[in-house]
Amino acid sequence: MEVFLQTLVAGILKGGLYSLIGIGMTLIMGVMGIINLAHGQLMMVAMYVTFVCFHYLGIDPYLALFISAPLLFVLGMVIQKYTLNPLMEVESLLPENQVLMTVGIGMVLTEIARFVFGSDYRSLKTSYSSSAFYLGEISFSVALTAAFFLAVAFTVFMFWFLLKTDMGRSIRAVGQDKDAASLMGVNPRRITIITFGIGAALVAVAGTLLMPLYYLFPDIGGPFTRKAFVITILGGLGSTVGAIFGGVTLGLAESFGATYIGMAYDDMIGLLIFLLVLLFLPGGFKRLTKI
Amino acid sequence: MKKCALILGCLLPLMGLVHSGAFGADGLKVGVILPLTGKLAKFGEIEKRSFILAVDEINASGGVNGKRIDLVIEDTTGKPHVGRSAIEKLISRDKVLVVGGGYSSSVTWAAVAVAQQRQVPFLVNTGSADRITEQSWEYIFRLNPPVSEYPKALGSFISEIGDVKTAVILYENTLFGQSGSKKFSKQCADLGLKVVMEEGYEAGAVDFKPLLVKVKAKKPDFLYMISYVMDASLLMRQAKELNLNPRLFVGGAAGFTLPEFQKNAGDASDYVFSATLWTPSVPYPGAKAYYDKFAATYGCPTEYHGAEAYAAMYVMADALKRATSLTPKGLRDALATTDMMTAFGPVKFVAYDKKTQQNRLPTFLVQWLHGNLETVWPKDVATAKYVYPVPKWNER
Repeated sequence: MEVFLQTLVAGILKGGLYSLIGIGMTLIMGVMGIINLAHGQLMMVAMYVTFVCFHYLGIDPYLALFISAPLLFVLGMVIQKYTLNPLMEVESLLPENQVLMTVGIGMVLTEIARFVFGSDYRSLKTSYSSSAFYLGEISFSVALTAAFFLAVAFTVFMFWFLLKTDMGRSIRAVGQDKDAASLMGVNPRRITIITFGIGAALVAVAGTLLMPLYYLFPDIGGPFTRKAFVITILGGLGSTVGAIFGGVTLGLAESFGATYIGMAYDDMIGLLIFLLVLLFLPGGFKRLTKI
Repeated sequence: MKKCALILGCLLPLMGLVHSGAFGADGLKVGVILPLTGKLAKFGEIEKRSFILAVDEINASGGVNGKRIDLVIEDTTGKPHVGRSAIEKLISRDKVLVVGGGYSSSVTWAAVAVAQQRQVPFLVNTGSADRITEQSWEYIFRLNPPVSEYPKALGSFISEIGDVKTAVILYENTLFGQSGSKKFSKQCADLGLKVVMEEGYEAGAVDFKPLLVKVKAKKPDFLYMISYVMDASLLMRQAKELNLNPRLFVGGAAGFTLPEFQKNAGDASDYVFSATLWTPSVPYPGAKAYYDKFAATYGCPTEYHGAEAYAAMYVMADALKRATSLTPKGLRDALATTDMMTAFGPVKFVAYDKKTQQNRLPTFLVQWLHGNLETVWPKDVATAKYVYPVPKWNER
């Protein structure tokens, strides 16, 4: 029973963080209709920002959120405005040009990080990095628990933002029908820029929250891009609620798989669920929730 | 765009010319494949720097029979299929005489098959899966001990302390990890230890707790882990979080002896034992000098992977010097009769058990004590007394 509960706790806590990574990607996907394959790399940039803040400026990772998120917001907007939007105008046989562009951007970010910081592994050692508290026999990592609740807070905030504010409504409008939105006076170009910024800022939050727990090197982005992709597909393209379900499902699947099947099959279990969803529930969890 | 290509086309051969220095046009080409990007880039870099350090020393002291050694280094990105094409390129395009490096077992395994097929000698210096030298391939040599022999010193240590009865083995699910774990569980049986759990994990995982919870439930005396450095750090940090208290934490070389392990795991690294092949304090001539020179040149410490690369370069240079003909075949014959001392220990390629052309070396046991890596076993080379049993987390 103890093993079961510990596995459940680990899965849900990790799932919270995964959701945050997934929401950023699904948002970009919903509005622009493209997969952002530089998502994990943007997270890597945010992690380096956090690392620099902590290591050189002595700023606690949780305060560094206020630096990394705005910084990535700006970086995301710049990427959209100067590299992705111009591609929309180019007539080409491949409508996937923007996707290819994101792959390129991901590589450039990785190599810049390697150039600046080298291939060394970095990690933050805060007082709470490896401390834990116990409820009965179940241990809760302090940093992971904090990350989970902050991730939930950001997710709730995102919901409020998308449902209640003008900007949020515009984003959803562009996601639903670009032409109709522009007829209603929404500038889709501006919205795509802002959406990419928000997506980048969200993954920056995830990266910063992960930093006290995990470690960092230039190539860390790839596996997280893949995770974000799986989460987005699980949840249904463009669905925020779906991304939360997707994230938690992936977290739980990895964690239960690790305990009851074998940790060697960590990735396989995640991808197996991915396949099952594609086969039996194409469209993802979105189909079940209708949001 | 066309203009750019043209200019680049003109510049590239020029850059090649600038590179060849004092010795005249054709040096002796030695190929090296290493993971210079990807998640193993850190180790690739240490080895690359050590190769270069050794080659510069050799060339500065007159090269080999008056000829310069030219290193041609290719990136494998740490993936077997890229490693395969890298070595193909070195052999067909660069026409190298001998190939070294390889780093991880998986990549090395893929690359040595090509070397054997194309009949170019390959001196393995890090890849340690046993089967690499168990194929009777006459073009493949190995400088480092195979992974099954990493815990040799550990065996005698466990017999000494005596009261360890049960063991858990965790290993990363790669060729290196699987090979090491299989051999170690056999060794446990010989030592009279009961292996109560043996499980792999996917390298690079965020959360090892599900695995460690299972370990905790088994209450082993002894936890043996075969991991690279960052998995090693996370394993120890999370073992601390979960208050997992075996009497003995032991790493099977690889990640546990690196300075990064201590830096990233922090105080969770204290009292962790590890098998190792080399430390700067080993009684071989040039070991300490290599360590100091590396630190002075690059401003960061090196470790056993670097020493392997450094020694491998000297072994290849020695073979180039003795080769009767400067062809891959000549090099192979020269390597086969190697008998020399290096900073990594004595090198002589022998056949034993199922292995051929394998160098035999003793291994050591080290322990992290107050942030320093001390050699603790065998006793005659120990720099500090070992601490056993490992104190419980809440009693530290």
